[in-house]
Amino acid sequence: MKNILLTAQLTLREALSRKIFIAFGGISTFILLIFALLFIFLNPEEFTGMVKSPGETIDFTKEIAYGLKLLVVAPLFGLGIFLSIFSASSFIPNMLEKGNIDLLLSKPLSRHQLIIGKFLGGLAVVALNIAYAVIGFWILVGLKFGVWDADFLLTIFSITFAFASLYSLIILIGIITRSSILAMMLSYIIFFILSPVLNMRDSINAVVDSSFLKGILDILYYILPKITELGNLTTELCIGEGINQWQPILTSFLFMILTLYGGIFIFSKKDY
Amino acid sequence: MNPIEITQLSKIFNPSSESKKVTALDNVSLNVEQGSIYGLLGPNGAGKTTMVKILLGITFATSGEAKILGTSISDFQVKNRVGYLPENHKFPNYLNGEDVLKYYAKLGGVNSTNGELMNKIDELLDLVKMRQWKKMKIKKYSKGMMQRLGLAQALINDPELIFLDEPTDGVDPIGRKEIRDILSDLKSEGKTIFVNSHLLSEVELVSDRVAILNLGKLIREGTVDELTSSKEIYKIQIDEEVSEDFYSTSLANFQIQKSSGNTFETLIADNDQLNNLIDKLRSENKTIKSMVPLKNSLEDIFISLIADSNKNSKL
Repeated sequence: MKNILLTAQLTLREALSRKIFIAFGGISTFILLIFALLFIFLNPEEFTGMVKSPGETIDFTKEIAYGLKLLVVAPLFGLGIFLSIFSASSFIPNMLEKGNIDLLLSKPLSRHQLIIGKFLGGLAVVALNIAYAVIGFWILVGLKFGVWDADFLLTIFSITFAFASLYSLIILIGIITRSSILAMMLSYIIFFILSPVLNMRDSINAVVDSSFLKGILDILYYILPKITELGNLTTELCIGEGINQWQPILTSFLFMILTLYGGIFIFSKKDY
Repeated sequence: MNPIEITQLSKIFNPSSESKKVTALDNVSLNVEQGSIYGLLGPNGAGKTTMVKILLGITFATSGEAKILGTSISDFQVKNRVGYLPENHKFPNYLNGEDVLKYYAKLGGVNSTNGELMNKIDELLDLVKMRQWKKMKIKKYSKGMMQRLGLAQALINDPELIFLDEPTDGVDPIGRKEIRDILSDLKSEGKTIFVNSHLLSEVELVSDRVAILNLGKLIREGTVDELTSSKEIYKIQIDEEVSEDFYSTSLANFQIQKSSGNTFETLIADNDQLNNLIDKLRSENKTIKSMVPLKNSLEDIFISLIADSNKNSKL
């Protein structure tokens, strides 16, 4: 365990040495400050108890709080994962560079500890960045509107989890090819193309009458991580609807475990 | 128990592809004694680094057995008693010298308190004369400074067995002398040191025993004295100028190392061969003006052995 934590700690330092995660934190701070200023001039009591239709009142304060959270978390999901993939894709190729990997493997730690450490270190840095933005905004909204729903905090896990399922693929590709570009490209293809397309596979099947295409789309849908659906899940958590669907979480988790195990297996057999 | 025991170790890269197949090590066996400095020599691509990497579990052997410190190399825990300086090592360049040592100490299984570790780090940085740069980011270090820090890193866990791959690479002559002195001190403390190098004069100066590896095969092993006294080079001058054809045809059975006009140098294995050469020159009606035995350096022996080995592998 000590070796895993040490490796994770160094990955965290490697990430912090890159300006991109600092920039991520800077952007989050800037957005939090903008909202803090905005909230000074906003009076929530103006919305309280407003009449929607005769005989029915709804709490607009809560609605506004949910809307604001959505306004922050939806871009955070996209931008956070985009920047995290960009930065984390070089962790494994850097580790595998000649002269570096020799030193690491000459130490009394097993190869699986090294990969798990890299995985947890990468996740930690993303989780910290996301947590900073989410908790910061949760406190701002809570103080201003008095809405303290804990579901919103779960978005830290849903965004980090979406990244984790892609990061396991980045690790596998990095181990096989030592190429950060390829790992990054594949992750972006899943994130921006495959996942949204596969999420619409029912609509596609309705238009294109091909059992072959249907089969391919179904296979890809169940194999690949469901980033778009995890994004939808994140927005649902923002508006207090909780988790309604477990299938995207379970299949993405299975993908993450299998690709991570595949990466560890290949790494444990390779000569360096 | 010897700190290093290698039995018929082989390594074939890409064994399933005939065109890409490379035999990096071919049935190599050797033992390294406790408290000695062992030099492994060989030209580029001889298999020196592969051997060290196999011993440290960085590369896997195709066949054979190896033990370090009495433990199978498959047991990674034994590596907390081992130090390693790889060739062209690369540390995380966002760390400073002190942080590098702290990090590798922890990875190397050092369990001392933070205060003890910091004292050890300062002690080692003093040893390699790097203490004044310990707070500097290593991306600003020169090649020689990196090498010195690498040596300190290899010693941070107070290892019993130390592998050094080209330890003086990029280090100035004064620094080389300092590294040789450090190795001698480590040896006097009872530590075993395995040095990979192509700098023959360096190895000759520090090693107790030497092995020469070529094309993955162990072609000679022994003390430096044993190796350098096994053959002698003679510089011979005859009375008349001869063409190069004379050396390549009439003296084809002898190992002519240099030839120019009426002077040539040849490697003589024993007195019989020396007498055969004299007889041959006389039979060719050449008068010997002088015959001087030259002292063999390890480099002479190395070049000769590699040439022989390459010739035999082509046959």
